Amino acid sequence: MQAKIRDLIITNLLAIVLGIVSSGIMLLFLGENPVSAFTILITSVVRDVYTFADIFVKATPLMFTALSFAFTYKANLYNIGAQGQFYIGAIIAVASSLYLQDILPGWLALLITLILTLLGSGLWGGFIGFVKARYNSNEFLISMMSTYVALAIMNYLLRTFLMETKAEYPQTDALANSVWLPRIIPGTRLHVGFILALLSCIGVWVLLYKTPLGYRIRAVGYNARAAKMSGIDAKKLYILAFCISGALAGAAGFTEVNGVQHMLVQGFNPDIGAAGIGIAILANGNPIGIIFASILFGALKVGGTIMGQMSAIPSSIIELMQGFVMVFVILAYFVRSWLENNREKRKLQKAVV
Amino acid sequence: METAFFELRGISKYFAKVVANKDVSFSIRRGEVLALLGENGAGKSTVMKILYGLYRADEGQIFKDGKEVKIQSPKDAMKLGISMIQQHFSLVPAHTVTENIILGNVGGVIDQKLYQEEIKKLAGVYGFNVNPNDYVRDLEVGVQQKVEILKALYQKASLLIMDEPTAVLTPQEAQNLMEFIRNFAAQGNAVIFITHKLKEVMSVADRIIVMRAGKVCGDVKRSETNEVELSKLMIGKDLEQVRRDELKAKPAQKPRLIIEKVTLEEQTGVPALKNISLAVGQGEILGIAGVSGNGQQELCEIICGAQFPSSGRILLDGEDITNKDIRARIEAGIGYVPADRSRDGMVMEMSIAENMLLKSSFDKKWQNRGFIDQRKLNAYTQEQIKEYSIKTPSTEAMVRGLSGGNQQKVILAREVDNGEKVIIFDQPTRGLDLGAVNHIHKVILKERAKGKSIVLVSTELSEIFALSDKIAVLYKGEIQGIFEPAELTTEKIGLLMAGFKIGEVREDAS
Repeated sequence: MQAKIRDLIITNLLAIVLGIVSSGIMLLFLGENPVSAFTILITSVVRDVYTFADIFVKATPLMFTALSFAFTYKANLYNIGAQGQFYIGAIIAVASSLYLQDILPGWLALLITLILTLLGSGLWGGFIGFVKARYNSNEFLISMMSTYVALAIMNYLLRTFLMETKAEYPQTDALANSVWLPRIIPGTRLHVGFILALLSCIGVWVLLYKTPLGYRIRAVGYNARAAKMSGIDAKKLYILAFCISGALAGAAGFTEVNGVQHMLVQGFNPDIGAAGIGIAILANGNPIGIIFASILFGALKVGGTIMGQMSAIPSSIIELMQGFVMVFVILAYFVRSWLENNREKRKLQKAVV
Repeated sequence: METAFFELRGISKYFAKVVANKDVSFSIRRGEVLALLGENGAGKSTVMKILYGLYRADEGQIFKDGKEVKIQSPKDAMKLGISMIQQHFSLVPAHTVTENIILGNVGGVIDQKLYQEEIKKLAGVYGFNVNPNDYVRDLEVGVQQKVEILKALYQKASLLIMDEPTAVLTPQEAQNLMEFIRNFAAQGNAVIFITHKLKEVMSVADRIIVMRAGKVCGDVKRSETNEVELSKLMIGKDLEQVRRDELKAKPAQKPRLIIEKVTLEEQTGVPALKNISLAVGQGEILGIAGVSGNGQQELCEIICGAQFPSSGRILLDGEDITNKDIRARIEAGIGYVPADRSRDGMVMEMSIAENMLLKSSFDKKWQNRGFIDQRKLNAYTQEQIKEYSIKTPSTEAMVRGLSGGNQQKVILAREVDNGEKVIIFDQPTRGLDLGAVNHIHKVILKERAKGKSIVLVSTELSEIFALSDKIAVLYKGEIQGIFEPAELTTEKIGLLMAGFKIGEVREDAS
């Protein structure tokens, strides 16, 4: 067990370092000095509280979309529609907030908005599970296509009912201060949504590993037939798992709209769903691992933006780095099982000789 | 001394979690039938797969006619005249016999007629009744095996390795196979067959290699040994036979589980079960004999609720449960030990404790304010581990890491508790070593003594005879008859299993 944890830490750190070195080599091709680039990257994110806190601001929605993918992944289902569920969540959050901000006190409006967001995006996600259970359709395709539908709905609403009063851009009016998520650290953008995300990670972990429902979801994921033979209704679980998964992605919409943007802009955060999938895979679907992986990606995002501003290096180099890190972390997974295998084999050889 | 045809010297093979072979050495001469005897997991199949090139040995050498050979793949093995017939056949069901046999051995334009003639001739030489134009999917298992053998013969194999060849055959078919093996060897070829059945070994082998825990622990001539000695070598200790008469026969109890005229039609419209009527009383074991694939699994699934009959009724203690789903039937007290445990019975990636919970995750007894009561579950699992002597480091160990016998004990422990009224055992001892078989038989008899009704499906006749109060024979989804064990002889039941009707059997037997 000790050796296992040691392997886990060493291989993952090594994977991150290798990812950075590989993208550094890419920088050399651009004729840039990777050392100075990375110095900027590291020093820039810790230069002041505002930037540093922004890491966690960026990590917040990533945690939600990663959880969204990881949750169905545990039931051996693939929800790659987190992006669409996120947009649906954002639409409901902004509509509800705009409507309620004038008639209810802020905290109550926020609470109702959160509940409506979770319900709406949960239903949106649950539909994927429903067609999977009812018509045995491929959830991978359905969830992917549902993103485009969500995008179209958002575009439509931003041109019509939700369009700003000035009617100039496809965006909503700004939310009133009363329905902004409270800031944790004054002078930064860090809002309570981050706490919500942390609690969700822990909550999902508890749900999956400590409750009968989560147990059944995992049982269906590992061996659907044995679960069926044990009286577990897989179809019901498909719907439920997609409901929860959709609600998790929708929660990212809530925290982004009420916590960061304070309005809804057409096509914002377009890569949050894909990044979530990457993070979930990076964390091997473990909700606690998702916390750390999301913070790492948040840091890369913040650093990348600043690097783009401060030097001639294109900020897209950060995406390259994210890609490299992900590839190496996935490789590390295989290296670990190979190490484990060899260790067992050696132990055995010693024992019999 | 004559040089050995094939010789293995010091073969060792390590897998991640187990030593499959350690320093295995033996040889085989031309004209010899060699039996490789051992419990499951003793390393028999592994060493043969090394000889056939499917695995590569970590240490050791292989010699043919005194010269060292390197076998890297089955292709190399075939060049040396080695052919292996796997336990699960490797035939293409949608192809004809001819196409299957020439698969991989032809190129260019295929002259079907020519090959058909060749194969017909070859089949004739060995007295196989196989039509080269038949599709493999239409053939019975016994014939499919003949096709496999023909395939090996067509490739001019001179060393035939057979992995548990009789597991799927009726006694009569097995007899024919044994004759073939003798014939084939007599022509200067050699046969190695892997088995854990002592009877077969004594009837056909010239020499017997006994393996235990990956090592050779006996190399004896058949003429110089007997079954008792072999079984001792195999398990390393004396066998404790389950005595059927230890438990006194009870007077007939009122029936608890009644199956009334149940028919199950597959989607194709072909009935998998035809008009089946059975009754199992309290404290009674009903044995279901038959060659596998004759409706056993369907029968079990009808009882446990995984499939619903097209017509007919199922009664439990007088209550109609025909339309109840699996969960309702689990709650009604029906336990099921499925034949394919890894597919139907457990979640390999979960711990022993979690697998104990599999059928009762809805039960409040394992919950504490909505959460799984881990402490209680672990304590219970610990108890079961002790009671069933499951070999494991802890309750948290993944079941994937357990041996087959220990996995089966996990399911057994769970189902014995679940099945408060009825327990269905489908092939409960298949693939297990003798020690585990013994243990499982004892458990079955203990549950019978508690008054539970037991349905025991098995293709092992010895198991059926040793345990059953009544025996039903299943053939192509139909009950051939229900008998008292004393009414049946091995021969008679063999004919029933092969599809002969009672009338015909009576004539033959008298």
